[in-house]
Amino acid sequence: MTTRREFLKVSAAGGLVFGFHLPAANAQNVAPEINAWVVVRPDDTVIIRYARSEMGQGSMTSAAQLVAEELDCDWSKVRVEYADTNAHVRRKRVWGDMAAVGSRTIRQSQDYLRKAGAGAREMLLIAAAQGWNAPVAECTASNGVITHGPSGRKTSFGKVAGEAAKLAPPKEVTLKDPKDWKIAGKPIKRVDIPDIVAGRIRYGIDAQLPGMVYAAIAQCPVFGGRLKSVDAAKIEGRRGVIKVLPMEDYVAVVADNWWRAKEALKELPIEWSFGAGESASSESILQFLRSGLDDASNVVVARRNGELEQGLAGAAKVLEAEYFTPYLAHATLEPMGCTAVLKDGRVDVWTSTQNAEASHATAAATAGVPLENVYVHRVQLGGGFGRRGGSQDFVRQGVQIAKAMGSTPVKLLWTREEDTQHDFYRPLSVVRIKAGLDASGNPVAWYSRVSAPSIISTLLKLPLKEGVDPQAVASFADQPYAIPNVLIEYAQRNPHVPVGFWRTVGHSQNPFMRESFVDELAKAAGKDPYEYRRGLLPAATKEHGVLEATAKAARWAEPLPAGVHRGIAVTEAYGSYVAAVAELAVSDKNVVDIKRLVLGIDSGHVVNPDNVVAQMQGSAVFMLSAMFWGEITIKDGRVEQSNFHDYRMMRLREMPKVEVVLAPSGGFWGGIGEPGQAAIAPAICNALFAATGKRVRSLPLKNHGFEIA
Amino acid sequence: MRRRSFLVVLLGLAFGARADPLLDPITKGAPVRQGRVKLDMPLLADNGNSVSMSVSVESPMTEADHVRAIHLISERNPEARMASFHLGPRAGAAEITSRVRLAGSQRVVALAEMSDGSFWMGSANVVVTLSACVDELGS
Repeated sequence: MTTRREFLKVSAAGGLVFGFHLPAANAQNVAPEINAWVVVRPDDTVIIRYARSEMGQGSMTSAAQLVAEELDCDWSKVRVEYADTNAHVRRKRVWGDMAAVGSRTIRQSQDYLRKAGAGAREMLLIAAAQGWNAPVAECTASNGVITHGPSGRKTSFGKVAGEAAKLAPPKEVTLKDPKDWKIAGKPIKRVDIPDIVAGRIRYGIDAQLPGMVYAAIAQCPVFGGRLKSVDAAKIEGRRGVIKVLPMEDYVAVVADNWWRAKEALKELPIEWSFGAGESASSESILQFLRSGLDDASNVVVARRNGELEQGLAGAAKVLEAEYFTPYLAHATLEPMGCTAVLKDGRVDVWTSTQNAEASHATAAATAGVPLENVYVHRVQLGGGFGRRGGSQDFVRQGVQIAKAMGSTPVKLLWTREEDTQHDFYRPLSVVRIKAGLDASGNPVAWYSRVSAPSIISTLLKLPLKEGVDPQAVASFADQPYAIPNVLIEYAQRNPHVPVGFWRTVGHSQNPFMRESFVDELAKAAGKDPYEYRRGLLPAATKEHGVLEATAKAARWAEPLPAGVHRGIAVTEAYGSYVAAVAELAVSDKNVVDIKRLVLGIDSGHVVNPDNVVAQMQGSAVFMLSAMFWGEITIKDGRVEQSNFHDYRMMRLREMPKVEVVLAPSGGFWGGIGEPGQAAIAPAICNALFAATGKRVRSLPLKNHGFEIA
Repeated sequence: MRRRSFLVVLLGLAFGARADPLLDPITKGAPVRQGRVKLDMPLLADNGNSVSMSVSVESPMTEADHVRAIHLISERNPEARMASFHLGPRAGAAEITSRVRLAGSQRVVALAEMSDGSFWMGSANVVVTLSACVDELGS
């Protein structure tokens, strides 16, 4: 290992420490470590550790802001460094959960991060006070400088860090009121951007090790299938080919460069045993799900208020509709991959992961070594969107292949086609919605039955509480409108296609259905869709507040130019509250010109407003791509799409203007990475209805003949 | 949630070596002592679907002094009593290796029932690193 290239890059102040290097087992015990999160160097550099992943969501910066705020350090002297997974397991999981999923990096760690900052500040103050032989209460910290009030003496964090590190951490600390924040809550520039712009940032795909070989893989095209045989002799002697590795559900070809591995794999005769999934098609899957709408058995109640049947029977008008959303792929720009080397009982892994701790556990279990012998080297992710968290399939494969190659380092890289066709897809979903309106048009009864796969059952293999997958019924079971009689049912129907967490998960589809149907009710009631919602949302709800703030910013009450139409939607998602207003025009050829997209969010607190705006804008790119073109279809048990030509993304010139309304009401910590998507699709489809009179009840829009201008 | 906290309380009692309703069907109220049982499970599992584990109990495994059974108890699974392995002196060693499914991060208990009627236990904490984009799972 000594010959292994090492490029540990130490960036300028305010930057990010990053590189491919092999830390010693106790590398992160270096003094002066004030606590697990804070290291203060004699030159006053403050290193703040970051445990979760960074994939563009900006949490690496926001998390450091929270620590720095309570620490009262000089932000220009802060560097952010990933927490090391090996030290993590040796130090009894000192950095806690490492998963960057569920829009929860900040809201789940803010408390212990702020306490770590406050605790470190307290220790530095005590160390300074002891040095001056003065009471600690007379000392204050600001911008990395400690001042003794009565004497005016000053010292810096770096000067007392050595002594501070020897002190016991304080048992209790007092956190600042967010209104007093100076670093948190401010639009501080992301620490990783300079390295991204300069091309210095390292993604998993960039891992380079001396003597490294490359693996390309083919997985069984039909989900659930197994490898029957390979005719390795056919590619023997091909230039660069080193080994053919037949595995249970995939074949890997290892070569001296990746292109040769991939090309040889194309020529390799492979026989699969496809299994029961082979006969499945999008049609058969849809039929299976649709049967869940009518089945009397194997259906559970997710929410019940009042008596639905009575409510419907007494209604002046009853509306009913069926909505559908398809499977979606994550399509991260960087395909799945993993570089690994096993030597002398030690495993080193470089991979783009949303949960380094899960990758660590997978590597240890796959290699059959103790957790203490594994090193997952932290890298930036070329996109995650939920693909790189819940399933560690790429780590399992990378370590299996490296294990088969002795002590030679191997870089496994999937092709784009493998990535598109072997995802854990956003589940498809069929939902029947029925509502009864009273004489004045207000809903007195609401019924939804969701027929959809369960990610929690099939991917996480966890038992469901009362049989309900909370993500499958999200935004139905917790709908905020004042409706006396509500029944929400869930029919779990699991086709053979693997499903997983796709950014915004259940809230990526159910608010589209719920908020489109609320529009149908408003239309039937003859009421303005904004005023209708506002009237049905109790004034105390956060939905009410964010709806008003967004409508006001969008100037809902003002008339639009001829030919331009509006749509609106609101929902909770990941502890935040979002609303969207879309303004668009539709040509006689069904070309949609989105003039304006106004997105409002109440996330309680805001740690970095600029980053929240960026996440809302990014959410618009992601959701507009999905709602216009996103669709994974199945034929002969396998995925039909393969690459960006048939799994399309939004293009720069197609992107509408996005205006973000930050409406934080304080007092709670909502998510940021995912909520932004939730209200967009219904707002656009409601505007399409206003423009064309056509109610869109299934996505993507391309299947309805709509194009984007 | 209620059931989980219920079990946590029960196992808390077990760790305090007092009789409790969860273990009673096995121990019939007999005291449970810490020790002699070594439960090995990884600190981390990326998925609870199949977690490797092994249990070994200090015992000469003779006719007069042997382990009669090893019970695996989960703090959080829907089925708290995950497995019971029945042994005799001819087993030679009181050791088992298996894989278990865990419904999330939890403490797992291995309870050994000796031929003299005494009970001994060991436990392990396992963190299932659920990378789920969900709120509702908790922990």
